Amino acid sequence: MFSSSPFSRLTLSAVITLTSVMAASAAEPIDFSRQIMPILADACFRCHGPDAGARKAKLRLDQREGLFRTHDDVTVVVPGQPAVSELILRIISKEADEVMPPPDSSRQLKPAEIELLRRWVASGAAWGTHWAFQPPTQPTPPKVAKGALARRVRNPIDPFIFARLEQAKLTPAPEATRAALIRRVTFDLTGLPPSPAEVTAFLDDRGSDAYERVVDRLLASPRYGERWAWDWLDLARYADTNGFQGDPERTMWPWRDWVVNALNANLPFDQFTIEQLAGDLLPAATRDQKLATGFHRNNMFNGEGGRIAEETRVENVFDRVETTATVWLGATFTCARCHDHKYDPITQRDYFALYDIFNQMSETGSASGGGRSGQILPALDMSTDEERARVKTTADKLEEIAKGVEAFELTKFPRPEGKTTFDSPVAQKLPGNLPVTLAKTAANRRGVDSLLEAIPHFKTTDPDPEYAALLQKLLNAVRARDTAANGVTKVMIMDELPKRRDTFILNKGNYESKTDVKVVGAIPSRFARTRAAPSVPSARGGDRAPVDSATPPLNRLDLARWLVSPENPLAARVAMNRAWQAFFGTGLVKTAEDFGMQSEPPSHPELLDWLATEFVTRGWDVKALHRLMVTSATYRQSSRVSASLQERDPENRLLARGPRYRLPSWMLRDQALAAAGLLVAQAGGQSVKPYQPAGIWEEATFGKKTYKQDHDSSLYRRSLYVFWRRIVGPPTFFDAGARQVCTVKVARTNTPLHALVTLNDTAFVEAARVLAQVTTAAAVSEADRLNYAFRVLTSRLPTKPERTILLGRLAKLRAQFAADPAAARQLAAVGEAARPESLDPVEHAVWTALCSLLFNLDETLSKE
Amino acid sequence: MDPFLEARALSTRRQFFGRSVMGVGTAALASLLGRGNLVGAAPSAAVKPRGLPGLADLPHFAPKAKRVIYLFQNGAPSHVDLFDYKPKLREWHGKQIPDELTGGRRFSTMTGNQTARPVLAEITKFAQHGKSGAWVSDFLPKIAEISDDLCFVKSMHTEAVNHAPAITYFMTGSEMAGRPSMGAWLSYGLGSETEELPAFVVMTSRDKEASCGQIFYDFYWGSGFLPTKYQGVAFRGAGDPVLYLSNPQGLSREVRRGMLDDLAQLNEIKRADFGDPEIATRIAQYEMAYRMQASVPELTDFSKESPAVLERYGPEVRRQGSFAYNCLMARRLAERGVRFIQVMHAGWDQHRNLNSQLKIQCEDTDAPSAALIRDLKERGLLDDTLVVWGGEFGRTPFLQGKIDDVKQWGRDHHPYAFSIWLAGGGVKPGFTYGATDDFGFNALENRVHVHDLQATILNQLGLNHERLTYKFQGRNYRLTDVHGKVVNAILS
Repeated sequence: MFSSSPFSRLTLSAVITLTSVMAASAAEPIDFSRQIMPILADACFRCHGPDAGARKAKLRLDQREGLFRTHDDVTVVVPGQPAVSELILRIISKEADEVMPPPDSSRQLKPAEIELLRRWVASGAAWGTHWAFQPPTQPTPPKVAKGALARRVRNPIDPFIFARLEQAKLTPAPEATRAALIRRVTFDLTGLPPSPAEVTAFLDDRGSDAYERVVDRLLASPRYGERWAWDWLDLARYADTNGFQGDPERTMWPWRDWVVNALNANLPFDQFTIEQLAGDLLPAATRDQKLATGFHRNNMFNGEGGRIAEETRVENVFDRVETTATVWLGATFTCARCHDHKYDPITQRDYFALYDIFNQMSETGSASGGGRSGQILPALDMSTDEERARVKTTADKLEEIAKGVEAFELTKFPRPEGKTTFDSPVAQKLPGNLPVTLAKTAANRRGVDSLLEAIPHFKTTDPDPEYAALLQKLLNAVRARDTAANGVTKVMIMDELPKRRDTFILNKGNYESKTDVKVVGAIPSRFARTRAAPSVPSARGGDRAPVDSATPPLNRLDLARWLVSPENPLAARVAMNRAWQAFFGTGLVKTAEDFGMQSEPPSHPELLDWLATEFVTRGWDVKALHRLMVTSATYRQSSRVSASLQERDPENRLLARGPRYRLPSWMLRDQALAAAGLLVAQAGGQSVKPYQPAGIWEEATFGKKTYKQDHDSSLYRRSLYVFWRRIVGPPTFFDAGARQVCTVKVARTNTPLHALVTLNDTAFVEAARVLAQVTTAAAVSEADRLNYAFRVLTSRLPTKPERTILLGRLAKLRAQFAADPAAARQLAAVGEAARPESLDPVEHAVWTALCSLLFNLDETLSKE
Repeated sequence: MDPFLEARALSTRRQFFGRSVMGVGTAALASLLGRGNLVGAAPSAAVKPRGLPGLADLPHFAPKAKRVIYLFQNGAPSHVDLFDYKPKLREWHGKQIPDELTGGRRFSTMTGNQTARPVLAEITKFAQHGKSGAWVSDFLPKIAEISDDLCFVKSMHTEAVNHAPAITYFMTGSEMAGRPSMGAWLSYGLGSETEELPAFVVMTSRDKEASCGQIFYDFYWGSGFLPTKYQGVAFRGAGDPVLYLSNPQGLSREVRRGMLDDLAQLNEIKRADFGDPEIATRIAQYEMAYRMQASVPELTDFSKESPAVLERYGPEVRRQGSFAYNCLMARRLAERGVRFIQVMHAGWDQHRNLNSQLKIQCEDTDAPSAALIRDLKERGLLDDTLVVWGGEFGRTPFLQGKIDDVKQWGRDHHPYAFSIWLAGGGVKPGFTYGATDDFGFNALENRVHVHDLQATILNQLGLNHERLTYKFQGRNYRLTDVHGKVVNAILS
């Protein structure tokens, strides 16, 4: 948490503010695991931590024995006596050869940290293990003092938040307006804005449980699964292509459909986990359970020319280990690829024990799908008769054209009878790669690259129009065949080798430097010692085979079951933290990707443990916990912030107000489509290709991939279904996970490039244009029309000052477009959606511009 | 940057906005942003307003350079045919390269299994140039002419043998994709010197024949775990150089101005009511977007460049997306205060076509690279602009292919030695540093690793590479990982 860079120092000041707000006054007891351990970890563990290879003076401070050891009459920590504790003497020393950390270390202690360490020793040096490695026990929600605050408590989440606010002498914000509330919760649960009718119904519903009924309606909506699938796709690094050179297409959308369906069906999170990690290993596994294992085939795949297959295979296993650790352990395993973790109790051996579990799959590392297909075996065949027929038709057609080409080449490239094209002296003189890729290759086996090189040559350099046209036909046929072959629904899944592959620790993680240390599948040793606390019962623990972590080797199913067993202290905490992050903008643990020693301590540790244990007690019921969060009084607060509160808690970690931040870019697009009534609710299926500026794929792939935009309803499907080319993702989505490696927290930035998207992207301009049509049809008067459009986007009516500005703008726009009707006609024609001929183009353009302005209101862009 | 920091940076703006709810129109925003003229003004020598703020106590020490232009040569130019002249290669031409050089070394699969590894002499003539007597091959006549301005490093080495990881290594300090790139680090640490343009701009080009398929991955200019506003903005080679820059058809700049004026007013009402400082940032960013709509077309308008200057860059300078065009753009971006300009050119991967393609690559890149240096020098910009030219590794001194198949001669990937050059930005001109063995196989003297080069680049910008760090996943990350030494010997 603390570092030498000024950036971190400011973060530190924020944390100190937070800590002081959280009442860490001098009189308060010091919490070892939250206040002391992080300092030791950051400042000392690099040389005195778990990594035996880097350890200095044989001293390790991450374990009790080392921290309190006496050696040569020198004791590191003497409880109650800082003046004789070597640890304290060293950190306050003025001698360059004594002081710790050493003066040349990039990490130096701050005076506040030294004081905290001194106070900790003086107060008895209570020791404990890192909080996240202890199994959570369900705390009793704290008592909130009587009165108004107590009356605002709606469920057990609130006392945890309110008690902390009371300590900080803050009060929660009043409840948000109903309009703001329904807009907030509808986005959070479905990723879409509420319709005007839904807003009206809620405003008119005077029932005491009106809000809860809205929540239940949203949880039951099929849109719920689509909204939450997005976050899961980000961490599963889902894309429709492999990445790297050539970036070939793959068919993983059936797995995406599986995720949406599982979320909608509220598949308990433990089953959701087990099926995705090891569905194929379940007894009598169903097709859907095998399909679920596509989770760990979503990683990138490097089929670059000259690539060593084993190197690719090993990297893919690394990715699976590290993704698993991030998602279910909140642990950063990457360091341990090469050496024992510097800060966390994860050894290189632990790393390779997990590696062994994922090392038993039949993937070879070479692109086995054939041709340009991105499908790498093993795969689940989900093809249809129609698809298989299309492959045959296109292959037959290719053969037929290839015969024609070869016949032509008999005269084009003269050579003695019975000899091949390559034996023609004319063919040997061809430029570049053509002697090999064209002349030496049978016509029916020529690749796209070769033909792309040959066609311009015979078109311009050495013109032969007839031959060029023939090659063009061949190219079209090859592409048609490839498209058909790639279009066959085969989904990449996991499998298990019949014969185990031995795993050796790789020196520095290098695929070709096997050490002689053989490792078999096991859970990380630190957790193997963790025993479940009796107070954490699992709702369906009875039907789960007990995991004996001491008996190697474990396979994927064992690992999956262990991850969601009471023996893993992290899975429920990490999952609940991600949900909290989605609703409130920041997790209770801000470092959602890391719960280790170097993580930021939780803002509300008891609440996190309460949620984690409640989650398990309720049978890993995701919807139930989502419901609990959004029906809390904490969530329902207004997000208005006073200057003093903003100053005091800029990041809203104490939650004295509701969440307010820009919506994810994919929701902005969905909102625009929904507001204009363009959104097509069709769920599932292949990815779609909506508007995209010309040339993006071509530029990234040297013209080898052409973006062929879809039309009609495919333009208006939800963002979740937009085709994701891994090397250049859809440009409409900014601040989105790159879908290259596991991402559990996306950035939220504020740049001019984002403004250009929502101002100028055809998707947004067309939506403004169609919303203008709807608006002008919905009402007659200028004021009523304005009210309509404003309300569709913000769920409220404009205030008087807002109305004055907007009506004034309408008048000015009308003058501008009346003076330039040609421009009006152009603007009124953006996009492919129909427009009523009866609508005056000037009036249409005026309202299009106004709706575009409304799309860019900060309030429209934000969850408020 | 942390939103918390930004809130602080914006507090003066907030105080301004706080005074009145209405009437925050064009003029007010312009004064707020420190500019009287909203429409793409010509660059002036006057103190420029700053865009992205940098870190408070940076630079660590007085910088020699304010900006970097990195001319990255994807695919790996052949050092033994261009800069690292080795007479021994001609002596040994066609003979098996000594086993003690190749034994146990890693090559790509293209020659990894090839047992015959005959030495291949340089494919063209070398000569010494300028007062410094630098060896440059006759494929690069224009670079040869300016060799007294250049600092050659002939002892570069790396670990990666495949393109994408090797390029990622140079750009991000890690072979694995996903770490922040050098330009992102610099934008994060030093901020921006322009409000009209992004701090970090990327441009790409490739050889005309598209003989090799090197792809430009966006992680070559990504921000990794740094906030995405630090990532490079890739100017495209066709159409709008910045995506979505153009207003929709039929929506004029005047109409846009009016819309944005009202948008600012409405957002300000919201800010005054709700107190969220992000709203003030958003108002400013919409204004920046509007400025870029003018400044980017102005930037790409070469009509005021003199014919003599254009001629220097060669005929391709007028073709958007060519290396020549991008080099001229790089100079124009440098003039306008852009911090890190990453120009990438692919086409150097001559596995099978050394005799036909290497010359073409040189023709496409030689004049523009030299023209850029001359232009910068004439304008007094070379002193505080560091230019780097180089690829991700070198090429084997031995042959890939068959010795009697001259047309298909090639060289494979070679990480053990290669050459780059630097210019300006406090680097010694007319200087050569480091040396390889007689075969150009291993870097022997004064070896310079990828991380050393990165440490040196940061050093010239006034940054201690060990202290420019960012905490992520519990670790203080930096561009140079845990390595890197500043190459002091090449600094003037």
